[in-house]
Amino acid sequence: MKNVTYVVLVLVVVLLFTTRTAFVVDQAEQAIIVQLGEPVGDVITDPGLHFRLPFIQDVRRFDKRLLDWDGDVSQIPTLGREFIIVDTTARWRITDPLQFLRSVRDEAGARTRLDDVLDSAARDIVSGTDLEEIVRSADWQVDVSQLSSEDAAALEEADLQRPKKGRGQLEKDILATASQQMPNIGIELVDVRIKRINYIESVRGQVESRMISERQSIAARFRSEGEGRSQEILGNMGKELRRISSEAERRAQEIIGAADAQATKIYGEAYGRDPAFYAFSKTLESYSTLGENTTLMIDAESEFFRYLQSTTGR
Amino acid sequence: MSDAKDLIDQILNRRPRGPRSVTPPGGNWPTVQPKAFVAGLAVLLVVWAALSSLYTVQPEERAVIKRFGRVTGIADPGLHFKLPFGVEAVQIVATERVLKQEFGFRTESSDDPRSQFAGGYPDESLMLTGDLNIIQVEWVVQYQINDAVNFLYSMREPTKTLRDLSESVMRRVVGNRIGSDVLTVGRIEIANTARDEIQEAMERYDNGIRVIAVQLQDVVPPQRVQPAFNEVNEARQELERMVNDATRQANEAVPRADGTAKRTISEAEGYATERVNRALGEAARFTAVLAEYRSVPEVTRARLYLETLTNILPKIGSVVVVQEGQLSPLPLLNLRDAQRLPQSTPVKP
Repeated sequence: MKNVTYVVLVLVVVLLFTTRTAFVVDQAEQAIIVQLGEPVGDVITDPGLHFRLPFIQDVRRFDKRLLDWDGDVSQIPTLGREFIIVDTTARWRITDPLQFLRSVRDEAGARTRLDDVLDSAARDIVSGTDLEEIVRSADWQVDVSQLSSEDAAALEEADLQRPKKGRGQLEKDILATASQQMPNIGIELVDVRIKRINYIESVRGQVESRMISERQSIAARFRSEGEGRSQEILGNMGKELRRISSEAERRAQEIIGAADAQATKIYGEAYGRDPAFYAFSKTLESYSTLGENTTLMIDAESEFFRYLQSTTGR
Repeated sequence: MSDAKDLIDQILNRRPRGPRSVTPPGGNWPTVQPKAFVAGLAVLLVVWAALSSLYTVQPEERAVIKRFGRVTGIADPGLHFKLPFGVEAVQIVATERVLKQEFGFRTESSDDPRSQFAGGYPDESLMLTGDLNIIQVEWVVQYQINDAVNFLYSMREPTKTLRDLSESVMRRVVGNRIGSDVLTVGRIEIANTARDEIQEAMERYDNGIRVIAVQLQDVVPPQRVQPAFNEVNEARQELERMVNDATRQANEAVPRADGTAKRTISEAEGYATERVNRALGEAARFTAVLAEYRSVPEVTRARLYLETLTNILPKIGSVVVVQEGQLSPLPLLNLRDAQRLPQSTPVKP
């Protein structure tokens, strides 16, 4: 009975003692032992079971992993005075927990510093840059000559230049500026990315209106192009029709001419054998085509008259 | 150490006295034998240990085993044991499952045969194109956790980082192209570039995420601008229509003109044939008559004259005779015929 009680008590004490001395450092953590508010010993980066003096030593834990920072959405004017909304995000880690502990105590403290530094760095860089530079990247390759006709109508060459720096470089600039301005609080900024950029509400309306008018002008151009091409086709058609009919006409006249010539030649050959008889018979023929009540004018000396007299005199 | 011993003694001395003074004699306490109590406690401990040391890993999962916070291994699917009492802990990560992040929309329920989608996340979907226009892009990032340890221990919020990076990369890629490109031909290339760049960032963070695919969903101009885009499409259709109309008209007219032309030529050829044939015929006739005429010229001549006169005289109204030397007035002949002949039958000898 007494022994058992002893055992239990010893166990309780040992348990109490170990929980106050042993502590676990997680894989994700690094820790500092603080003795009466003063850090002692090295930073514990090795995960596993560790020990400290009970009651007088305390453990401060810090995340060892890469941490996330999400900036406020801020309105910043660009160099071209467009107001845009910029949302940045950054990655950082605690590299010097001792310094971190001394200067900012905890992550909340670090975050406020990060807010200050990163926001102002982003503001500085963005406000000194044209919007194109922020939107486009250094590997921008839009070839104006290869644009479809539709785009070419809406865009001008000057609008499509390769950015001098581009977004990637700007992000690096923000990172560099921020790292430089960052007081020594035992952290390392790993990267800064521009998560979102957009026009502010009122500018967005204007841009949309511009896009609408741009599209409308393209539509108008398509319509007039349709009109133009239709006219072109009809014009070509007219030309073709005239060519066809005139060629046919020419050919017809050539054929007729050749036939006339041939006929003339035939007549000539035939009638040429006796022109006088031809004249005679043709004259008679022409008389026979006279109409009713014709007044006939005859030379008194002509043969015809002679015969006429002979018939009447009979 | 002596302090500690004193302390223990103190407690030991005090402890047996405590309960007795509180618990009335013959109460519940004394009935429990201390031995049984300890045994019960031991059994409880064993059961708890047994229960807390068993865990199952599902087929699509891996378990990261930690002993006192330090990663010691990864367990494959199946039933496993671990050391109890918090000595070993496991964290289960679904490594085989293909996970998905949606941007600009959310799948509201995938239980129905047809998934329900909700748009209306303009903050995520609106972005700027290279020609500084606004475009609305919705996309999906499919990914897998291919390294459970890195996923858990290289970043605190790997999934959120994936989201942030996806937005950042998509905006960069879209901003690096002009709007119409994004709307039409650029889709596949944008998706591929975005996937590569997100993957690259994840590798740089070494966070165990592998991006499988980036898929663009709806890529459209902003709501208010859409009618104008439709107008362009309509205008393009109209252009096509006008060109087609004109072409149709030309296609109708030209063959017809071709036909007409052929007809004109054929008619000319007909005329030519006719003309030549007539000439040949007349020539033949003339030649034939001439041959006969030559055999007896005088008689034939007279006969022809007279025949002609016989034929024409009934039609003649008057005959004016012109005589040489006698200029005017001209002697008139056969005026009676002019009066009489039209209403009477021709005078026959």
